[in-house]
Amino acid sequence: MSALLRAELLKLRTTRTFAALVGAALALSLLVVVLSTTLGSDFDEQDVRELFTFDFTPLFILLLGVMGMAGEWRHRTITSTILAAPDRLRLLTAKMLAYAAAGIVLSLIVTVAIMAVGSLVLSGRGETTIGLADLAEVLWPNLVVAALLGAFGVAIGGLVRNQVVAIVGVFMLFAVEPAVIGLAIDVGRFGPIVGAPNGIIGINPIEEGEDLLAPGIAVLVMLGWILAGFAATAALLRGRDLV
Amino acid sequence: MAPVEIRDLTKRFGSVHAVSDLSFDVQAGRVTGFLGPNGAGKSTTLRALLGLVHPTAGTATFDGRSYDELDRPSAHVGAVLEDAAFHPGRSARNHLRVLATTGEHPEGRVDEVLAAVGLEDAADRRVKGYSMGMRQRLAIAAALLGDPEVLILDEPTNGLDPPGIRWMRGLVREQAANGRAVLISSHVLAEVAQSVDDVVVIAEGELRGHGTLENVLGGDDGPATEVRSADQERLAGAIEQRGHVVQRDGDSLLVLGITPGEVGEIAGQEQITILGLAPRARSLEAAFFALTGGET
Repeated sequence: MSALLRAELLKLRTTRTFAALVGAALALSLLVVVLSTTLGSDFDEQDVRELFTFDFTPLFILLLGVMGMAGEWRHRTITSTILAAPDRLRLLTAKMLAYAAAGIVLSLIVTVAIMAVGSLVLSGRGETTIGLADLAEVLWPNLVVAALLGAFGVAIGGLVRNQVVAIVGVFMLFAVEPAVIGLAIDVGRFGPIVGAPNGIIGINPIEEGEDLLAPGIAVLVMLGWILAGFAATAALLRGRDLV
Repeated sequence: MAPVEIRDLTKRFGSVHAVSDLSFDVQAGRVTGFLGPNGAGKSTTLRALLGLVHPTAGTATFDGRSYDELDRPSAHVGAVLEDAAFHPGRSARNHLRVLATTGEHPEGRVDEVLAAVGLEDAADRRVKGYSMGMRQRLAIAAALLGDPEVLILDEPTNGLDPPGIRWMRGLVREQAANGRAVLISSHVLAEVAQSVDDVVVIAEGELRGHGTLENVLGGDDGPATEVRSADQERLAGAIEQRGHVVQRDGDSLLVLGITPGEVGEIAGQEQITILGLAPRARSLEAAFFALTGGET
């Protein structure tokens, strides 16, 4: 398994996709944080916490996982990949672990960057900032979500082999899930892209008394989504003839 | 046990019988040509052998084990498939590094195989800038990475220019000379005739001939005999029992690989009356077409 995992991580490092997605996530997240900290005022600690969790990494990590798996079909490299690693379940497991790790790296880079830049701007303007211990408290849920979404993206890419359709589907889910949360919180809080991740991070964009899931439960829900995705993708991958 | 054994292999895609009840072996130290027209079932057979396609029935094994039962498969089997594909944004060197990591081969092998296929100067260029021939050489480098005992090459000359085809012939002969079993598929007989020891001919998913090139196709302009007999089927059976290929040709038989004298000797041994016996000049290609039902 470790050889497969190392190979998947090497694949990630040897194309420009990963660097391009990190760059795009970083640029967009920094833009939002710089604009918010420059134009906003009267920040309290909770505002700052939420500011540092508001970034575009979940979207980009999902896209990374989708592209990592669906890209194998798009570039027809799935054949050489399976020739090198014929145990398709181990291959899928290694891919999910690799993209979970990639998600953590992407999120770490973006979150640390927005924390550093946001704190600098806020302290320069004499606004409230939060200490290192609080920053760490904000950081770790981001990393957990990143790891889970990286793995979930692989499952989506395995189920929807057409990369364009899979990417459009991810954007649609990002648009639809908040609407579902607004309309039916009892359903929306279990969503894999916004509902459960927001439960882990502790963002509650809805009215008081209508909470999202508690972080521990949200992690379990996300793991359930990943396991379901893994099972469905594994069934498809194992049964498929590569002609 | 042969390095490659295919036994009663059948593969159906819905109502389409891609391969039917196919059996043959590939021996170590020999190059076996896997021949048949387009759509004959060659690629499906090779993909079933490599675990990419699930057989409907039968087995395809390496030393008695299926491909996915092999420990570090790339150390046993190297394969070049017809549609070898690479991530366009990755360099040849990195593509091979990924495969070396997966197969747990030493990273030094990457430079060795790049040199072996003549790609060392282009190794750090992204594959999207490669010509068809360069991609084919990269696919061969990937197949050689684990220094495997068996090489499976599906239409490996596709995209190669004449010097490339010549290089490929030299490569497969060299691999066989080193004791490896080489199975090379082609729909163009002329491309492999000079480099194969044995042939397996299939058409419409069925085995049409298996043995040495000379036995199956009569060799290039080799002996072939047209014979008519009072007991056509018994004579055909007797000749086939002795390992020769017999084609039914109207009211006569066409026997490949042996002279009229040898056919007469067999008929004499079996006490079968001969009505007519004549040598028939024929080319390797004509024999191939006769076996596969193609144009002559």
